Amino acid sequence: MERSVFRSMVVQARVVWALILREMTTRYGRENIGFLWIIGEPILFCGGVAIAWTAMRPAHEHGLPVTAIVITGYIPLTMWRHCIARAVKAYESNGSLLFHRQVTPLDIITARCMLEIAGTVMAGLAVATIAIMVGFMEMPKDVGLILLGLTYQALFCYACALLIATLSEMSDVMEKFVGVISYLAIPFSGAFTMVDWVPKHFQFILLWSPSVNNVEMIRGGQFGMASHPIYDLYYDTWMTALLLVIGISLTLRVRRYLVIQ
Amino acid sequence: MIHCIDIGKDYPVHKGIRRVLDNVNVDVAPRQRLGILGRNGAGKSTLIKIIGGVEVATRGRVEATMSVSWPLAFGGAFQGSLSGLDNLRFICRIYRLDYHATRAFVDDFAELGSQLGEPVKTYSSGMRARLAFALSISIEFQCYLIDEVIMVGDKRFYDRCQRELFDRKSDRALVVVSHDMGFIRDACDSAGVIRDGTFHMADSVPAAIAEYEAM
Repeated sequence: MERSVFRSMVVQARVVWALILREMTTRYGRENIGFLWIIGEPILFCGGVAIAWTAMRPAHEHGLPVTAIVITGYIPLTMWRHCIARAVKAYESNGSLLFHRQVTPLDIITARCMLEIAGTVMAGLAVATIAIMVGFMEMPKDVGLILLGLTYQALFCYACALLIATLSEMSDVMEKFVGVISYLAIPFSGAFTMVDWVPKHFQFILLWSPSVNNVEMIRGGQFGMASHPIYDLYYDTWMTALLLVIGISLTLRVRRYLVIQ
Repeated sequence: MIHCIDIGKDYPVHKGIRRVLDNVNVDVAPRQRLGILGRNGAGKSTLIKIIGGVEVATRGRVEATMSVSWPLAFGGAFQGSLSGLDNLRFICRIYRLDYHATRAFVDDFAELGSQLGEPVKTYSSGMRARLAFALSISIEFQCYLIDEVIMVGDKRFYDRCQRELFDRKSDRALVVVSHDMGFIRDACDSAGVIRDGTFHMADSVPAAIAEYEAM
């Protein structure tokens, strides 16, 4: 029994890897820099916004350097938005993959999210390195806390992608709403604000969002405790786990609803 | 063996549901060559997709103790925007095939030449069929599911398929959906008809063909 579980995990890992390689060729092709666009795209986004904010805004916001605020906020937000965008109708557009019985809906979303997450993290690393070298950003105070925040954010993005992929397949209305949701969700992403800046009696609303907690962790790691990061690791863990469980169980059931051409 | 037990399939349509299959029971034994006949829209392709695990039955279940290919059909199985070679690479990776050996086999069998490097969406249906057939034949399945696809090829391809299926892979099971009664007569040793959502086995292949032609 244990052996067969292990064996099927090996099969799934191979399928996910094949899907990642395939996704890189479909999306970025072999022309010019090819799959490097997976990093190039978020770099241009994040770098552009960082430069614009650095140029337009005062150098410090609530005592924190604005370039670092933008980078630490924009990377988690981009990660989430890209994962969501790639999840909408992912099964319908990838019906041809489901012809092969070892490819499951879970593999498709896993591969897409891994690619997006790796891309945004690498882009963040590149932009932050440049900003540090140019002198617009300082070295992080606590890399461990940044990694913890990024890990939680990656899991949160994955859970959301699983949910959106299934729901958009079950209802067309959902598909239409995703664009609106990912826009309206920006205040709840924590990307451009810190919880500490908000009046005390409203803070709890922001902290309902796992993304806000995660961004607070990342900023806590970047600026140190003097920036007053506020996050609830206990809540964040349970909420992310709950979303993951719902997302995975829906994904395991979604096949009934798929009509494959 | 493949056992399809009380298979039912509903599709959501504009108002409510459309019942395509209801209470279908089919068994496929090793080496059996089963033809499935029926009019357009009778549910033949749906049944073959359910056997192949591409779609999930609304009711009932499929139990298979042999390895079953994906349904070889006009659409499906390939990503149109990718080249034939990229599709081949992907299939090699997920089925653990050696890329160079498979490519050599596909090159030889499908005779697509340099077209193999072009996106699959630019292929004619005959070329697509050749690629699909060559790829699935290069994987050692114990049962092949064929949904019309061989019939779009030219004479030469048709003959090669025949040779491949009846000489080199004569020990495999086959499930064929076709409107080409000549092919059914040549290829199958048993046949059944889908009608009004249910399937029933005919006593012999000629009996099934007669029933189909009377519909």
